[in-house]
Parts: sequence; C-alpha cells; structure tokens
Amino acid sequence: MTETDAINLFKGLADKSRLQILKSLAVEDMYVERLAERLGLTPSTISFHLKKLSDASAVTAYKNQYYMMYSLNKEIFQTSILEILQQESDEAQKQAKRDADYRQRVIDAFFEYGKLKSIPTQRKKERIILEVIAKAFEFDRIYSEREVNLIIADFHDDFCTIRRDMVGERLLGRNGMEYWRIKD
Amino acid sequence: MNEQYQKFESYLDEKIAACKQRSELLTTDDRVDEGNFEKIRANVYEIFKTILSVSEKVCGKDDLARKQFFLQKAEQIPLSWTTSYEKAKQHGDTAKLHIESIKLDTIREIKDMFMRIWEETT
Repeated sequence: MTETDAINLFKGLADKSRLQILKSLAVEDMYVERLAERLGLTPSTISFHLKKLSDASAVTAYKNQYYMMYSLNKEIFQTSILEILQQESDEAQKQAKRDADYRQRVIDAFFEYGKLKSIPTQRKKERIILEVIAKAFEFDRIYSEREVNLIIADFHDDFCTIRRDMVGERLLGRNGMEYWRIKD
Repeated sequence: MNEQYQKFESYLDEKIAACKQRSELLTTDDRVDEGNFEKIRANVYEIFKTILSVSEKVCGKDDLARKQFFLQKAEQIPLSWTTSYEKAKQHGDTAKLHIESIKLDTIREIKDMFMRIWEETT
C-alpha cells in the first residue's frame, strides 16, 4: 500500500456514515438502496460514500442480476496499521537529501581546510563532526591512546574531549588503553 | 418590499438557518461530507436571497418585473450545474453527481416555493 493509498483509506474511514456502511458490509454484501434504508440516508448519499470507499479500495462492487452489490475488501482490512507505518515513505528520498544537505552544511561550517574550527555545542552537530573524524580510523585495527590522540590532533588541539566524546558516541570502542573503530 | 417578497425572503432565511444548523450537527457527529452537503444547500439559498435583493435594486417596485427577473436568473444560474451533472453522469462520477444533484434539487425547490408564494398571494 502506497502512502497515498493509506491516506485515502484513512480519509475514507474518518467518517461516521462511511464507517456504518463498512460495518453493514462486514455483515453481508448489500446494494445501495438496502444500505440507504438501513442507515436512513438517501441512495444518492450512499452512492457518494461508496465512491469514496471504492476509491480507497475499501469496498468492491459486482453485478448480481439487476443490482450492483457492494462488498467489503477484507484483504485491505487485514493489513495492520503497523505494516502501513513500516512501508518506506514516498518522501524517503527527499528526507534523505534534506538530511545529507544539512550534514554538509554542518561540515562546511565547522571545518576549514580539513581542520576543525571549534567543537559544536549542539550534540546533533557534534555527532556529525565526530563521524567525519572517525573516518580517519581504520576498521579492524587496534590503536594505542597515543595513536588516537595524534590522529585527532590533526583535526583539533583538544584531542582529549574529542576522544572521550567519540567513545561516548560509540564511534570508538575502548578497552583500557586500546581503541578501535566501531562498525555501524 | 411587498408581502410576497417578505414571505419568500423569510422562507430563504429559515432554510439557510436550518441548513447551517444541520451542517454543524453533522460535522460534530463526524459526518463531515454530509455536513458539507448542507453547506452547499445553504449556499444555493444564499445565492437566491442575493438575487432577490438584486431584483429590487434592478426593478424597483415593479413586482412583475422583479418576478420575471428572479425566474430568469433561476433558469440561467443552474445551467452550468446541469452541464456538470451531465458530465459527471457520463463519467460515472457519483461523488460529483451527488453534489450537482443537491444544487439542482435545491433550486427546483426554491422555484416551486417562489411560484407557490406568488400564486397564494395574488
């Protein structure tokens, strides 16, 4: 189910009369006039609601002799709301681009010719900066504290704060005086 | 304004008030679309209340001229609604069909009431 389909479905359900129509159809398939009698609405109003429900794939129609019968699309109601929420968003790519742009702006603001100008006070920004510094470390290699300090010192003089924060952010692992780069 | 027009204006006012009240009730009852249908009805009554007022400005005290002016507008204005209705019918657009039929039913009712009041008092 796409995000648009989900929105249509939720819009379709967010109406008392339409919910009553669906409840009736959950009992048995019905035609417009039968629903109109049952719910005390005009056939024209029922048709209006059925169109919306049909557009949302909540109901399906089939011909039975002279009548157009409507039935509940049970398959769509077996989808859990969690499944809908877990679907990848149509907006995912746009969101990813916005995130990447933000990240680049932070990097541009805090780095100059490969050197860190200052340590960001905002945690979110500091995390981005630390991730850049972490790239200077190889995976699957053990570093001594001195080696760690030297690598960080290439970026900023306050290597103690940065080293400690990299461990705190779980970018570097530490065991005594040994450090290593943690994989994502 | 003569008795016929006062009576007709009161009828329109009552209808507008009733539609607005029903609209509020339906919307509060989570039946927003049906609440909107009542707003559409109220709109049509309001259009013809305006026409009634314009007829006085255009025709002055000439009651017969006002009657003709009003009935002429009551024929002209719904022409585009009829076209929309027919198009919706052709395309099986039941949602649009319902909205256009609300407008056409309301204008039919307005015209009937206008004629009834006119005949009763002449």
